[in-house]
Amino acid sequence: MRLEIVIRYTGFVLLFNSLFLFISALISLISGDSAFVPLLFSAVVAVLIGVFPIIFVPPVENIQNDEGLMIVVSGWLFSFLIGTLPYIIWGGPFTFTNAWFESVSGFTTTGSSILTNIEALPMGILVWRSFTHWIGGIGIVVFMLAVALPSGQVAMILYRNEISSLAVENFQYRTKKTLQILLVVYFGLTVLETICLILAGMNFFEATTHSFATVATGGFSCRNNSIAYFNSPLIEIIIIVFMILSGIHFGLIFVAITDNFKKIWYSPIVRYYIGAMIVGIILVSASIWNDIYKSFWDSVRFAAFQIISVGTSTGFATADTNIWPGFSKLILIFFSLQCACAGSTSGGIKVDRILILWKSFTTQIFKMKHPKAVVTSKLGGTVIESALMEASVLYIVLYLCVVLTGSLILTLTGVDTMSAFSGTVAAMGNVGPGFGQVSSLSNFNMLPDAAKWVLSIVMLLGRLEIFGLMMFLFYRVIR
Amino acid sequence: MKIRTKIMLGFLILVGMLAIAGSISVYELKKIGSSVQSLLDDNYRSINAAKDMIEALEREDSGMLLLLSGKWKEGRDTIQSANKNFIQALEIAENNLTVKGEKAFVEQIQEDYKKYRKMWDQPIVGTIYENNLNWYLEDVHEAFKEVKASVQKLMSVNDKVMYETASGLKNRAHQAIMPGIIAILSALVFALLFNFFVNIYFVNPILSITHSIDDFLSSNKPVSLKVNTKDELADLAHSVSELVALVKLDRKKAKS
Repeated sequence: MRLEIVIRYTGFVLLFNSLFLFISALISLISGDSAFVPLLFSAVVAVLIGVFPIIFVPPVENIQNDEGLMIVVSGWLFSFLIGTLPYIIWGGPFTFTNAWFESVSGFTTTGSSILTNIEALPMGILVWRSFTHWIGGIGIVVFMLAVALPSGQVAMILYRNEISSLAVENFQYRTKKTLQILLVVYFGLTVLETICLILAGMNFFEATTHSFATVATGGFSCRNNSIAYFNSPLIEIIIIVFMILSGIHFGLIFVAITDNFKKIWYSPIVRYYIGAMIVGIILVSASIWNDIYKSFWDSVRFAAFQIISVGTSTGFATADTNIWPGFSKLILIFFSLQCACAGSTSGGIKVDRILILWKSFTTQIFKMKHPKAVVTSKLGGTVIESALMEASVLYIVLYLCVVLTGSLILTLTGVDTMSAFSGTVAAMGNVGPGFGQVSSLSNFNMLPDAAKWVLSIVMLLGRLEIFGLMMFLFYRVIR
Repeated sequence: MKIRTKIMLGFLILVGMLAIAGSISVYELKKIGSSVQSLLDDNYRSINAAKDMIEALEREDSGMLLLLSGKWKEGRDTIQSANKNFIQALEIAENNLTVKGEKAFVEQIQEDYKKYRKMWDQPIVGTIYENNLNWYLEDVHEAFKEVKASVQKLMSVNDKVMYETASGLKNRAHQAIMPGIIAILSALVFALLFNFFVNIYFVNPILSITHSIDDFLSSNKPVSLKVNTKDELADLAHSVSELVALVKLDRKKAKS
């Protein structure tokens, strides 16, 4: 592996981040807040460190797969570091641990926050916080490839290492076309949601930051009470629609818009994704009606928003789910584990794998009845290869192992069981809120520093779908 | 890009970062300096004036008690000297209106003090007020408490602003230190990267050229010079290759 090549492309990632830091600094300058110097200095540091390897290391025509993997992981890690700078320079509630947690949570689109008073932050910092979501949404390296780097073998290797393995299987286009689709859908959804939210009564700043958080399925809000602050059913409906769209495979959205909208519904994955959420909303509404909310429509309203928010791994809140009955909490935890479709900005196990797991289970039952039968499993007319089935089942098992290990370590640091388990599930799925100390209208500030570090690692494991970070950490052993 | 340019750019980046970090620290420290100055000039002076007013008021109250007990001379002297101090302190507060709403507090003190002053400006010794404790407790002491409360309000508003400014100073100090720390850490990263790149792109190719020439000279092994960069080292490799070719040709000629 050529380390210099990894450093060169990590330099590009830093330059890409610096662009957004400069924009944030400019906004800070215009608003006249106290974040201008921290943002500008961070941007300059990112440029200087980013340019340095580009000066020394000459460009290459191709890279190896392991180099691609290293570039992706180091790109994420250095983005976290650069993302931390504006926070720690600005000060206030940001110790190094808090700044790191906020940065990791932003880039991985988890949306968990340590901030107790978000509205006290200067506009520049809030904009940067939203940008971290937006940059991380479709993946830092993918975003950079789509915007800045020319296509070719390097782009293909980087793209395959960055994007979910399931999504790579699902995209039927060449790398260049796939990147264009991702970019068009991503930009399109963001712009459209911003316009809708402005029309619904938000100001430009609120509309933009909330669009970034929705389309990236992140969950950072510029308000202390998240979406509950607005208390507007119209705003909630708009956000619900865009959360659902952002959880669908971007390739499908592209085909639906450019070809036939009904094609979205042809996908069994989308049918299950929407169907599961409808069932979840009905069950939770029934569970909280009368007990928590006297009005039936209020129950449906809050249940729908919370189920979709968690089920797409966004993490916005309109209600304090901590006071909901245990049954509702367990349903929300299920959706925090499952999340949305591969090829979207969502985290979690993903609907596709849940369906593959189900197919694997039914195939196994069939084989037990007919041991000599040759069985092929299909999903939406496509044959599921046994290797993909095995990989999906392995991924789910590993995913649950990480959740359990993370929860165990968190309880060791003194966090209560419910907060530890739900917090780890939320971090692993890049969802954001859990229950207990880390509920929907609360934050992660009360957790001990060690717990914040554990959760940051879990967030990255979830974002890189476990194998990426594992291969990075244990590269020599695996080799 | 030539080696000289690369090295120069590398150092320029390092210098640039340190210069920017230094400038930010100097800028923030200067701001801290001016904030400290304004803290002293604006708030501390008003707080001191308020303390002097309270002290003067207490002495005026003692003077009033002396007058009530019939000690005219001692009472008058005490009150006049305290009044002089109070007026001086009030003037300082009047000329140092730096906090929003401070003017209203000063005006309230003036108004309350005017009422209080009327109490001891009139003759007391030898009048119905002498030894009249009820009058003192019901009117004089109440007026005294009102002025004192107004002065305390002025003091607390300045206290509050001083606390906020001091908290801001803490944050400014943090913002002055952090760029320096980050620049130092970045310089360390730079140094490591620089060392790494110098090894890969300068030292290793030179070693490779040297080994190749040594091998060629000692055992006539073919010279293979691989330099990926387009700088002086590539030129050197090219020149060495030409030289080796000439030497080979000479050796062939010598053999034949």
